[in-house]
Amino acid sequence: MSFNVIGKSVIRVDGLAKVTGKAVYPQDIYMDGMLYGKTLRSTVPHAYFTLDTSKAEKIEGVVRIFTAKDVPGHNAHGVLFKDHEVFCAQKVRRIGDPLAFVVATSEKIAQKAVEAIEVKYEELPAVFDPVEAMKDEIKVHDGTSNIIYHYKLRKGNIEEGFAKSHVVVENVYKTSMVDHAFLQPEAGIAYVEEDGTIVVCAATQYPHFDQLEIAEAMGVPAEKVKVINPAVGGAFGGREDITLQIHLAIAAVATGGPVKAVYSREESFVAHSKRHPEIIKIKTGADKEGKLLALEAEIIADTGAYASWAINVTRKSGIHVTGPYVIPNVKVDAYAVYTNNPFCGAMRGFGATQVPIATEQQMDMLAEKLGISPVEIRLKNAFTKGSETANGQILTESVPLITCIKKVADALEMA
Amino acid sequence: MKKRGKGIACIFYGTGYGNGFPDVSRAYAELQPDGKVAIYTGATEVGQGAKTALSQIPAEVLGLTVDDIIFINEDTSITPDAGTAAATRQTYNTGNAIKMAAEELKKELINIAVKELGLNSDAGLEMKDGKIYLKILPDKCITLAQIAAKQSEPLRTFATFTAQTVQIDPETGQGAPYWPYTFSACAVEVEVDTETGQVEIIKAAHAQDVGRAINPKMIEGQMEGGFAMAMGYVLYEDLGLENGRIWNNKLSTYIIPTAMDMPEIQNIIVEDPESTAPYGAKGIGEPVMIPVGPAILNAIYDAVGVRMTEIPVTPMKLLQAIREKEKQGA
Repeated sequence: MSFNVIGKSVIRVDGLAKVTGKAVYPQDIYMDGMLYGKTLRSTVPHAYFTLDTSKAEKIEGVVRIFTAKDVPGHNAHGVLFKDHEVFCAQKVRRIGDPLAFVVATSEKIAQKAVEAIEVKYEELPAVFDPVEAMKDEIKVHDGTSNIIYHYKLRKGNIEEGFAKSHVVVENVYKTSMVDHAFLQPEAGIAYVEEDGTIVVCAATQYPHFDQLEIAEAMGVPAEKVKVINPAVGGAFGGREDITLQIHLAIAAVATGGPVKAVYSREESFVAHSKRHPEIIKIKTGADKEGKLLALEAEIIADTGAYASWAINVTRKSGIHVTGPYVIPNVKVDAYAVYTNNPFCGAMRGFGATQVPIATEQQMDMLAEKLGISPVEIRLKNAFTKGSETANGQILTESVPLITCIKKVADALEMA
Repeated sequence: MKKRGKGIACIFYGTGYGNGFPDVSRAYAELQPDGKVAIYTGATEVGQGAKTALSQIPAEVLGLTVDDIIFINEDTSITPDAGTAAATRQTYNTGNAIKMAAEELKKELINIAVKELGLNSDAGLEMKDGKIYLKILPDKCITLAQIAAKQSEPLRTFATFTAQTVQIDPETGQGAPYWPYTFSACAVEVEVDTETGQVEIIKAAHAQDVGRAINPKMIEGQMEGGFAMAMGYVLYEDLGLENGRIWNNKLSTYIIPTAMDMPEIQNIIVEDPESTAPYGAKGIGEPVMIPVGPAILNAIYDAVGVRMTEIPVTPMKLLQAIREKEKQGA
């Protein structure tokens, strides 16, 4: 099959604007009569709180200070569970939870006013260790277990598989919480069109979902909200959850004017999700020839204070912890757990990035015990066309894994 | 002392929302007065190259160049929902929707051409370079701009693509949670400084199954970006998280790799077209990162004989592990 355009390294259509600085990122948008917003965030991980905004309101140039009572619709958002509050009403569950949004005539005044808001915390015991959190002695969300998801995989009989194994390796791996570190910290501007349509310009991964979440929080039909997604300075999963979109919409509607907010790098770090750190307990067994016979894994994913994509991420970890290998006997339990840590969500690989840190080291350990090479053990077990995954899915086509393994092994002269 | 070692890792990666959740992309294709074609879709360009790759697909269908495609994806009020720019799903999902919309537009354009040119059928009609013509008699020709001028309303087609996955059983995990899967492998050579615990990556080879490559240079860009992100993940990045507080909250203390840290990488694009994908192309945005980290960890073991079960493997942690091993050996 020959193509004219497919397979050609066409120069990026957005490339010229980006390299010449002409591309418009949300931070680049300025409008007449624009006001500036700054967010007050919690400084403790778990507490009841009260706010006193009276001093801050008196600062010249402060237009309004928005808190939970100013959310016109549902004071909630979240990609799966609506467990985030637009502004916390009574309780904070992590450091960085939004408490108030100050709108002022300049960024400086807004910042000054944020610092002038008095916050009284009545601190609660907090839980940071997901294993501890699974005991539910400290609840991050009232009335809900901290364990929000349990993925189960049962295939074959692992006892039998391990009994038949010639070599077995068992280890506990720990992966870390990390940030997307995209280049452009969150920024946005919101205004109201003549017909009352609320317009929010902010860099996002999913404008149509933001539109729904903004509409629900504003208590308006979705068609009264328009999301404009200008140039996006990287995302990697970190722009899946709402950050400043609803704050801007509330402020724009209440003040009538365009309202802009730009996060600093430091604020960006607490504002968006992180990669789920995981504790991966894994046992892998193989026969004398190096054929995998059994795998057992327990995965605990710390989602921090909010669920975000925890269920999907944890499921994806559970599905991918087998590695790309045919294994007849598999048992996996993967848990997603609330703690008072920063919240975790989508990040490049989405649960499938964490587990190979364990699985792939296990493979090398088995190979070493058997006296075969890391390349050989992979080739012996790799998925090929027609293989069945541990979930029982048949890989019917486009499975060039062995080609991938052989090509990189050849390139580095690994046998 | 500096010690070298090699490591390999390979992975599979399931594309899309998965687990039976409706994974839907939508797109419009619309003929413009000048004969160009506008694509309207909600798929975001986050830097991954969506605007370019998703312009190449309709250009191929319609015999146009990427310059003839106007890609509009910035405004919810004029674009249809195409799902999130995540889950490595836009090339596959929205690529399919756009291809279908473009094919539908092509069909309509051909039908109009048959009428306008007074032909008996569409047999032997070619659509190329903004024209539709009869191959056996090239004078029988009409341009897309001429067709556009004859329309009272812009010619517009719409298509929806929904990926196929099956929800897993909650007790056994049996089902078809993702489709398609992509595969990749990475091999690296590292040099570990046993005095400082620092890891340098000397050389790497990275192979990515892409189904079919739509834009090879952009794939290589993704592969290098994924490599860098994985280096940061396993070697450098540390939030300094303590009792829920992030201490390393700026890029002076939260260390990510720079161009200076990057080794020479041999990027290998492996093609094996997927029949349900647009021109066989599978997404690669996420899988390009995944095998790199464990390949580095396996190479560290090969170099100095210590198994690092916790990441990031900072120089301090690695040095401790090396000392520990030396103590046990002595």
